[in-house]
Formats: sequence, structure tokens, C-alpha cells
Amino acid sequence: MKLILLLWQREGISIIRNTFQMVMLATIFLLGMYAIYYGHSKIMEQHKTIKNVEHIEKNKFEHYKNSFNSDHTSVKEKQLFDIASNPAYAWYRHEYHAILPPHGLSHMSLGQRDIEPYYYKLTGTSLYYQLFQSELANPLKLYVGNFDISFVLIYLFPLLIIAFTYGLYAEEKENGMLPLLRLQTIGLRKILLIRIAFYYALIVGLGILLSSIGFFVSSEGDILAVSLWILAVLCYLSFWFALMFFLISLKKNSSLTAISAASLWLLFLIVLPAVLNVYANIVYPIDNTSLADVTRRRSLENEEDLEEAKAVILEYLQSRNDLKEADSLLHINTMAKAYAAFTALNDDHHRKEVSDYFTQIRLRQKKISLFRWANPAVNTQGVLNEIVESDSEIFQSFYQSIESFHKDITHFYVDKLFLNKEITSKDYETLPKFNLKIDSQDRHRKIKNGLIEVIVTTFLLFGLSWLLFNKTTF
Amino acid sequence: MKRQVFLIAGKELKGMARQNALKILFAIIIILLGFALYAGHIAYKQQKVMVETAQKERRAEWLDQGNKHPHIAAHYGTYVFKPKTLLSLFDFGLDTYTGTSVYLEAHYPHEFMFRPVQGYGNMIRFGELSAALVLQLLLPLLIIFITFQTFTKEKETGTLKLLVSQGVSIRSIYLGKVLAYSLIVFSIMVPFFTGLYIVGVIEKTSAVINDMGLRILLLFCVYVGYLWAFTNFSVWISLKSSSARNALLTLLIFWIATGIIIPKTSANLGETLQPLPSMKTYKEGIQHDIENGMNTNETKEKRMARLKEDYLQQYGVDSLNQLPLNFGGIQMQEGEEYANKVHDFHDAALYKKFERQNKAGSLMGFVAPYIAVRNLSMAFAATDWYSFNDFQEKTNTYRRHLIRTMNNDMAKNSRYGEFYEYKAGRNLWETISDFKYLTPKVTMIFKYYWMELASLSFWVLIMFILIPSSSKNKLI
Repeated sequence: MKLILLLWQREGISIIRNTFQMVMLATIFLLGMYAIYYGHSKIMEQHKTIKNVEHIEKNKFEHYKNSFNSDHTSVKEKQLFDIASNPAYAWYRHEYHAILPPHGLSHMSLGQRDIEPYYYKLTGTSLYYQLFQSELANPLKLYVGNFDISFVLIYLFPLLIIAFTYGLYAEEKENGMLPLLRLQTIGLRKILLIRIAFYYALIVGLGILLSSIGFFVSSEGDILAVSLWILAVLCYLSFWFALMFFLISLKKNSSLTAISAASLWLLFLIVLPAVLNVYANIVYPIDNTSLADVTRRRSLENEEDLEEAKAVILEYLQSRNDLKEADSLLHINTMAKAYAAFTALNDDHHRKEVSDYFTQIRLRQKKISLFRWANPAVNTQGVLNEIVESDSEIFQSFYQSIESFHKDITHFYVDKLFLNKEITSKDYETLPKFNLKIDSQDRHRKIKNGLIEVIVTTFLLFGLSWLLFNKTTF
Repeated sequence: MKRQVFLIAGKELKGMARQNALKILFAIIIILLGFALYAGHIAYKQQKVMVETAQKERRAEWLDQGNKHPHIAAHYGTYVFKPKTLLSLFDFGLDTYTGTSVYLEAHYPHEFMFRPVQGYGNMIRFGELSAALVLQLLLPLLIIFITFQTFTKEKETGTLKLLVSQGVSIRSIYLGKVLAYSLIVFSIMVPFFTGLYIVGVIEKTSAVINDMGLRILLLFCVYVGYLWAFTNFSVWISLKSSSARNALLTLLIFWIATGIIIPKTSANLGETLQPLPSMKTYKEGIQHDIENGMNTNETKEKRMARLKEDYLQQYGVDSLNQLPLNFGGIQMQEGEEYANKVHDFHDAALYKKFERQNKAGSLMGFVAPYIAVRNLSMAFAATDWYSFNDFQEKTNTYRRHLIRTMNNDMAKNSRYGEFYEYKAGRNLWETISDFKYLTPKVTMIFKYYWMELASLSFWVLIMFILIPSSSKNKLI
């Protein structure tokens, strides 16, 4: 213990005396603080937008509800009441919002939250006309990516580890200190590990300090997410320390160790993922051009033809056994019913194309994720995104949930329309509600697997380095 | 002196040829460059086939939509797909982050849909391997690895003193070394760009870019300037450093700071300083101005009442039914024109924000030359934001022409109050020619990138200044 404290004290003094290392630590800390601020401001903007859309929706429905109590004397009041009570208007005028709210810690890893839309305005009209919207974004900013705390941890912390540890053995040799160390009773490996442990405590401590500031900024306290985040950071940084221990164990000169470490950083953080992305693009190309057509606004071929309208309604009713009585009510509100039926049939017609498109995406992502274990950087980034629910899978669950929400909206209005029922003020208590359906078990399994993969790689590297150190000579 | 420079360059090249580690790194760069180009070419071909097929299908749909009222046809509309430019096989630029297709219909200028990035998983945020990425980030790293100890080693072994004592100036040694490393960089660049040019010539079907040769030449010049400046800087750092370790650390920090940290922080800072509105707020603003007018007394109702009055007066009639044309069509077009005005106003303000956000990054090109070369590379490959914007504007013009043609036909050939009674057919649909796109001439986009050109020139100039003068041998 005394030896550990002595060596740690020596390392501490050497850091304080080394302006370059102090500047590096301070820079990373300041960049980390900026990253937290940036992530937080992005998420605050999203919260603001969500509040705004929720407010608009609530307000509109309040107006509709209140219209049941007005005397409908003015044209405006009459129009509002019609929209509120007549399903022939309401089915395409009542606007709902499906929202994917940010997780309490999403500011720490923004993931796909700036790429994928996190809210959708939905009416009973064609789902696909409304589904493929994008949020406003500067493409150059999307290309550059987000400077959030996960970026600092994944990209910059390994550099800190490299800068502090690459010369731990080679520099002793280059400075002529090695023969002196060999004279000591303690083994060189032990001295090296004690010194690495000092930097491990320092850098991991800094990582946890920055993460804690990030947790503190959050308004929600999700203990599980916080614990998993800390575990992921520990695993990832441990991997880099194990990798550096491995490189040091090769006992090459300091320049070659630094070059090798920088090359590995480049390999894990730039080359491998970049190559995989290109590979995925050419092996699993995604054709969205055929899908564009499903977003088209369509209507009946001959809108003035009543017979054609009736035929469309009957075709739709064939798939709706629950609306059997509607067959005899065709002559009332025929065109409105025909338009609603046509929209539903059109969506049904395109359902397979849309489903195929999402299957293509899922397949591509599944194939890419098979390589995740080989790259702890990508793996940890994926795990962090999964912990804070900003990963691409959650957006796919979001799309799927929207589909069933749209179905609820359509049924709510269309059923009334086809059965010639008015919307009553009481119906406003049972309006369709959006529910996000997530397979939590599957998500936890993915996080667990990701972490295990990084831990196993780390232990393997550490074990190999342990054996290698005493076998190699400088 | 020239002889000395060549002799030193020759000696450096021989020295490097003996180092196996460098040979391996060199081979890795060549393989990555080759793979990037190959993958880019496949992606280009795949995308080209998809876009052409889809465009043909949509065109056929438009022509074969049958007889219907022109306004229904205007809502039926058509689609435009963004074609890949051939040079995107070299630099993907922003292609992954901009939408690929747009629905053109009456009343609603839709946003571009289907950003390819949405089809990738979380890994896309780590970037894609393109030949441009290899030249912008990986080749400079190779330069660092081969140059960091070029002077420090001479100092450590004492050969530098020996050379100077024999009358060789530091300048000659410096230039000889820079020449040797530049030759290595050139040995990668020249065949690569020649290959790119040959592909450009062979792929004659790429009608999207019509000044391919000039663009490739400009790309070559930009990369030569950037990599020469980087080589010079690395050699200079080695000259100034007391040890190989110091030189390596300084260069690696420079590479990471200017290639990774500064580009990201500056883009994020730009966004913080110029935040964008949400799509909802943006669209609501447009809708509000269309309904209430951009100026006082310009509400929709008032605009339409004025229009009616003007037409009645112009034709000297009392009612709309007496007009020789269908006022419904006139009204429709007037609504479109006003909405276009509102959209143009809001779009201009939004694009101004984009530009300001991007300017923060461009300005940092004076500190980080990578930013300058990245932006110029995208621009010359026609995969930058301005090229996308140009495409967007042209689709907008096409959409407006399509809607105007439909509305004018309605006004000219149908009667006021009638709708389903009038039907247009293929003859009208054929008057709308198919959408064809050509990128603007590269000379047109220089005005957007003067800051990048200035910053890259600044770096090249600084490197010339840093070359040691012939009288200075005291550095040793």
C-alpha cells in the first residue's frame, strides 16, 4: 500500500509539473462541460416544441368540446360545431400528435434524435401522406454530428488515455531509468500496473465527474439508466486502458507505441465504422424511390360518380365485419364515406410496400450490428444511445406505434361516419391516445450483451498483456 | 542548391523505401482509397438505376393519369428524385443527409423526404468511408507518421550538424525533405485523380454534371494545396521540435484538434448561435402569413375581393359568370402566387440561418485547414449544401410551372362554377416536360466559398513563409 501511495504521489507531482498534461485535462473537462450544455440545449428545444404541439392540440380539442355548449348563432360557431360533432369533417380535421419525448438523460447522447422526427401530426387521412416527414435540419450539421458528452467520452477520452500512458514504460527506458527500476525488489509489471491504475483512477474519475454533472442537469432521476451509463463508461475506458497495457507490453519505443495507439484509435473510431457503413450501403441498398409514390394525395377516379363511390364503400366494408349495419346506410353522406373508405383502402394497398421498406432497414441494421462486438467504440456508443433511448431501434418502435395509433384515430371517426352517428361531448372523454410500444426486455438484453462484449474484450486484452509483458524484451 | 535539394530528396526516398512499417501504411492508404472509390462507384450505379427507374415510372404515371380536372391533376402531382452526381463516388458530401425525393402538388410545397441517413443505424454518426475522407483525414496521418522524425532523428544522430558543416543549408535540407514527401503524396494523388478522370469520361451517361473535367482539376488543385501545406507543416514541426516524441505529439494533437474537435465544435456552436425553428413553428408561420397577409390589408379575403374587383373592372362586366374565363382558375393561381411569395420570404430567412450556421465553420478554416478542404471538396463534387439548394430551387420552379399550367388551363377552358364538367387529358399533361437537372457550373459556386479558398490560400502562404531562409543555420 505504501508503495502504491508513493508511486501515485510521484505520478501526481509529474502531472502537476507537466503543463501540457494539465492543459489537456483542463481542455477535456471544459469540452465536456460544453458538450453537456450543448446536449441540454438541444433537448430543451425539443421539449419546447413538444410542449407547443401538446398545447395546440389541447387547445383545439377544448374549443371543439366547448362548441357543444355554444348556441351556434354565428357562422364561425356553427362551423366549429360541425367540425367538432360531424365525423364527416372531424375525421380529417381533428389533429392528434404522436410524440416520442426525450428520455431524462438523452442530452448526454443525442443519438438519432436530430435525424429522426420525434413528433408527428396525425389526422384520419392517409397515414403514409403524413408519415414520411422530416424535421428542419441543417444537413452540414447532421453530417458533422453532435458534440454531446457521449462524443467526449467515446472519442476524446481514449486520446487522453493514450497521451498519459503511451510512454509509461518506454520513456523510463529512454531516460535511462529502467536499470534502476530493475534493481528494485518489486517486479516491473507491478510498478507499471500501479502507475496505470493511477491514470485509470484519474481519467475514469474525470469521466464519472462529467457524467455526474450530466445526470445532475437532468430533471428526471432514472437510477437504472444512471447505473447502466456509469457501467458503460467504466467498461469502455477499461477497454482502452487494457489496450494501452497491451501496447506497452510489446515494449516498443515511445514513438512507435504512440503511433500504434493513434492508429488503433483511428481504426476503431473512424476506419472500421466508416468501412462498415459503406459496406452496408452497397450490400444492403435501400430503395426508397418506390416508396415515394405511397405518399401521394389520391382521391376517387371519378369524384362525381355516386355509383363508383358506393362501390368503394362496399369494398371497404368487406374488410370491416364490425360495421355490418353500415351497408344499409350508404345513401347518407356517401361522398364523405367514399373518401374515407378510399383512403383506408389506399393505405391497405400500400401497407406491404411500406412494411418492406422498414424490413429492409431492419435487416441492414441487424447485419451491421453483427459486427458491433468487434468494435468497442461503436458498441459503447450503441449502448449509451440505448440507455438514453436515442437509438435507431426506438424510432422504429415509434413508427410502429404510430401505425396502430392512426388505426385507432381512423376507427374512432370512420366508425361513427359509417354508422351515421354524431360525435358527442362524451366521446371527447374517450379520444384515441398515443401509446409507445417498446419491447423493454429486448432493449435490456441488447444493453446487457453490448456491455458483456466490451468486458470480455477488455479481460482478454488484459490477460494477454499480463502474459506478454514478462515475455517481451525491450 | 538545386542539386543539394534533389540529393537530399533522393536520400529521404531511399530511407523510406527501407522502412517496412511505412510501406504497410502506404499500402493501407492505397487499399482504402481503392475500396472507397469502388464502393462509391457501386453506390452511384445503384442509386442511378433506382432514380432513373423511379423517375420514368412517375413520368408515365403523370402522362397516363387519364382525363380529369386540371386541379385534380395538380393535386395528383408528380415526384422528382435527386440524381446522384458522378463525383459523389469520390465525395459523398451531404448526400446521406439531404432528402432524395419530393412530392410536387398544388398548394403544398412539400419538404424533401427520405434522408438516406434514416436507413442506417447508430453507426452512421461515425461517418462513411469515401475517397475524400481518405485524402482529408487519413493521408495527413500518414504524412505525420513519415515526417515527424525527419529532422529530430538527424539531430539525435548528429547528421544534421555534419551536413551543415559540409556547407549544406538548412533550407536545402528542408526543401529536399519536403520534396521527397510531396513526391510520395503525389505518387498517390496523380494516379488516383487520373483514374477519377478516366471514370468521369467513361461514364458518359452522367448528364447531371457538364463540367466534369474542370471540377476534377479543381479537386486535384485543392487537395494538392492542402496536402502540400500539411506536409510542409509536419516537416516544420519536426525541424522545430527537440525530440521525435514532441514532434509526434504536437502533430497528432494538431491533427485531432483540426480534423475532429474544431469542425464539430464550430458546427455545434454555429447551431447554438443561430437556432432553427421546429418544422411545426416554421410551417405555422407560413400558413399564418398566407391567411393574414405579409402586410396590412393583405388578408386572404381582401386579396381575393380585390382580385375579383380588378377582373370585373378589366373586362367591364358585372358578375364573374360573364367573364370570358373561369375566375376559379384565376383565383387558384393568385393563391399560389401569394403562397409562393410567402414561401420564398420564409425560405430565404431559413437559408440565411443555415448560411450563418455554416459560416461559423468556414471561418474556422483559418485554424483548421481540414474544414476548408472538406467544404471545397463537397462543392466541387456537387454534393454540398448549395448544390442541394440549387436542386431544390429548380424542383420548386418546376412545381410552380406545373401548377400554373394547370390553373391557366382551368381558367381558359372551363366555366366559372363548373368543376367535374371539365376534364383535361394527355395533351395538357404532355405540355409539362419531364424534369431534367443539371448542376450549376462550378464557377458559379465560387462566390459561396471565398472564405474556404482564402483560408486554404492562407495556409499555403504561411507554409511558404515558414520555409527556412538560406541564411539561417542556427537552428541546429
